[in-house]
Amino acid sequence: MSSEIAIRVKDIGKVFHTYTKPHDRLIQGLLSLISRVAPSARVKAYFHRKAEARRRDFHALQSVSFEVNKGQTVGIIGRNGSGKSTLLQIICGTLTPTVGEAYFSGKVAALLELGSGFNPEFTGRDNVYLSGQLYGLSKKQIDERYDKIIEFADIGEFVDQPVKTYSSGMMVRLAFSVIAHVDAEILIIDEALAVGDVFFTQKCMRFLRQFMQTGTVLFVSHDTASVKSLCSHVIWLDHGHVVQSGAPKDVCDSYLSALLESQHGKTTKQSPADLPRRPPEISECYDQRQKFLNASNLRNDLRVFDFNQNSSGYGKDHASIIDVEFRNSNGQRLSWIVGGEEVTLLVRGVGYRDIPSPIVGFYVKDRLGQTLFGENTYLKYRDAPVYLSSGQAFEASFQYQMPILPAGDYSVCVALADGTQSEHTQLHWIHDAIVFRSESSSVTTGLVGIPIREIKIEIV
Amino acid sequence: MKKFEVSPLSLFSSLYNNRQLLLDLSWREITSRYKGSVFGMLWSMLTPILMLGIYTFIFSEVFQSRWPNINEGSRSSFALILFSGLIAFNFFSECVGRSPYIICSNPNFVKKVIFPLEILPCVTIISTLFHATIGLGILFIFELFAFGKIPATALLLPIAFAPLIFLTMGLTWLLAALGVYLRDIGQTIGIVLTGLLFISPIFFPMSSFPEKWRGLASLNPLAMPIEQIRNVLIFSKEIDTHYLMYYATTSLIIAWLGYAVFQASRKGFADVL
Repeated sequence: MSSEIAIRVKDIGKVFHTYTKPHDRLIQGLLSLISRVAPSARVKAYFHRKAEARRRDFHALQSVSFEVNKGQTVGIIGRNGSGKSTLLQIICGTLTPTVGEAYFSGKVAALLELGSGFNPEFTGRDNVYLSGQLYGLSKKQIDERYDKIIEFADIGEFVDQPVKTYSSGMMVRLAFSVIAHVDAEILIIDEALAVGDVFFTQKCMRFLRQFMQTGTVLFVSHDTASVKSLCSHVIWLDHGHVVQSGAPKDVCDSYLSALLESQHGKTTKQSPADLPRRPPEISECYDQRQKFLNASNLRNDLRVFDFNQNSSGYGKDHASIIDVEFRNSNGQRLSWIVGGEEVTLLVRGVGYRDIPSPIVGFYVKDRLGQTLFGENTYLKYRDAPVYLSSGQAFEASFQYQMPILPAGDYSVCVALADGTQSEHTQLHWIHDAIVFRSESSSVTTGLVGIPIREIKIEIV
Repeated sequence: MKKFEVSPLSLFSSLYNNRQLLLDLSWREITSRYKGSVFGMLWSMLTPILMLGIYTFIFSEVFQSRWPNINEGSRSSFALILFSGLIAFNFFSECVGRSPYIICSNPNFVKKVIFPLEILPCVTIISTLFHATIGLGILFIFELFAFGKIPATALLLPIAFAPLIFLTMGLTWLLAALGVYLRDIGQTIGIVLTGLLFISPIFFPMSSFPEKWRGLASLNPLAMPIEQIRNVLIFSKEIDTHYLMYYATTSLIIAWLGYAVFQASRKGFADVL
């Protein structure tokens, strides 16, 4: 077998037998035994039929084949019950396929369901040791990594509580933290990240993106946006069959259109016909629809959470960012932003040493850790840098029009550096300085919505 | 696809590779039993002492039983004879009685992670052996107290005990695997074990079995090890060579068979649980 292949799945099929009553399983077993040892073909066939009648077969997977090369990130999408989890379990080796074979090379770490493999009676600490050992780490190796694992999971004193007292978020934090520290070569992740909060999801995404540079990832989700942004190859499963396999964009698009098609038969709630047909009034806004949208439930409300000084990051020895906030044009601090409106992002900090040419910058990232947009002060002050002396406070502001953002969590990463665009020293970097959530949005496609100047359909 | 080997070699390598896990899990099983109780680990000593007290009282005071051919200090010696048999029997019955639930009660280890399931029955064996060892310690202290000496043959105890361990391991693997498919085993096993308790030579020697039933009684797989263990512990007799040759060999084969059945049937565990 080629050393380049990380996972190979060949003609896998899985049949689950279901029985109406528990003892049917036993009777079925006996009948099929009789049919096997029966003397004549007719008797054999009779008992075989009898036996088959006792059980019903459910084909969870049928002739599924694919290969994943080392270093690839492959997404598996499909609706509930399409066989995604069964497939992952077979690849991990916890389920045996009825036909076909699955093979992998390298160390696999799997996050199959919430707190998978944890023993609910054990404490978090014990479970870290238990799962670490299952991934082949020695006790000494776990001792060395223990602090890192706990720091990554960040569940506080719950470490010493039994896992059964954990919330689902804490469980997945700990589980992810363990698999992030076992030196796996293949990661298998089943949906589980959906339950973490925005800070943790950001942390996981940072880890995943780094891991993907060297390792192989198998990623399962219903969420085509995350699949598209993370994966290099996508497989679409439906009713146990591979429907399509190929480039993320193509597969996700056909998956979504199939999904829409099947839903339109049942519900008309979300059909375009229900959207108000009255032409929007012309206003002075950039987006003509703005006024109308702001009056409807499609208004892009962005709820802003307070500056989080303790968010993870680095630096702080030579300078420190002490506050980050959004303001409106009147200078008032905003706790809600409406997408499409003018805002000012204000970054305040203090330098502990002389900083000859400070650069303040920010990024806005979506829940998958993708950078949507960002800016810094470098170009504006390139020729005449503001000299920040030791002990002086500074205030940097960015005034811009907030784009309309699809529903979801966003975070703002801010940083202060010293130097030039190409050569600088980071002084203080905060990953998730401010988090905001888009509660509702008129944006249906794309990562951000921009004010559209004009939209019309004309009969010509 | 991973294949589950059935060779004894695969067993040893699995046990060796997972030794730390095996010890951790065993220790946890030992400590978790008394978790939350006031006396904690003290119970592992109190339980056998209290049981010893009850049996002694019932059999020597209420039923006035005497062990044939033993006269000196008969009351305490009867208690010790009883106790030595019970240690062996309890080891067996605890392992076998729990075996049908070993896999069933850990569906996470079957379905969610790749777990060396074959070591789970060994965890039960080790933790039960720990309790047996404490029982033996108490027995030695009692013996020293009552007779002022422990027979030198007690050094042979590990050899006398080993075949019983192999037998128990085999049955535990077997029942752990079958218990997944047939839940009724869990119900049946308790009755069988109670029956075994009364036909085993614990409260009386083999020789006091009625002549016509003795053949049947010797079919009891526990009869031989219990007698041998009692011989080395109390009667200062050496181990029977028949026991060492035939019984020990058979028990080793049973251990391997149990392991083989377990390995062959474990593929289906995840489907059933």
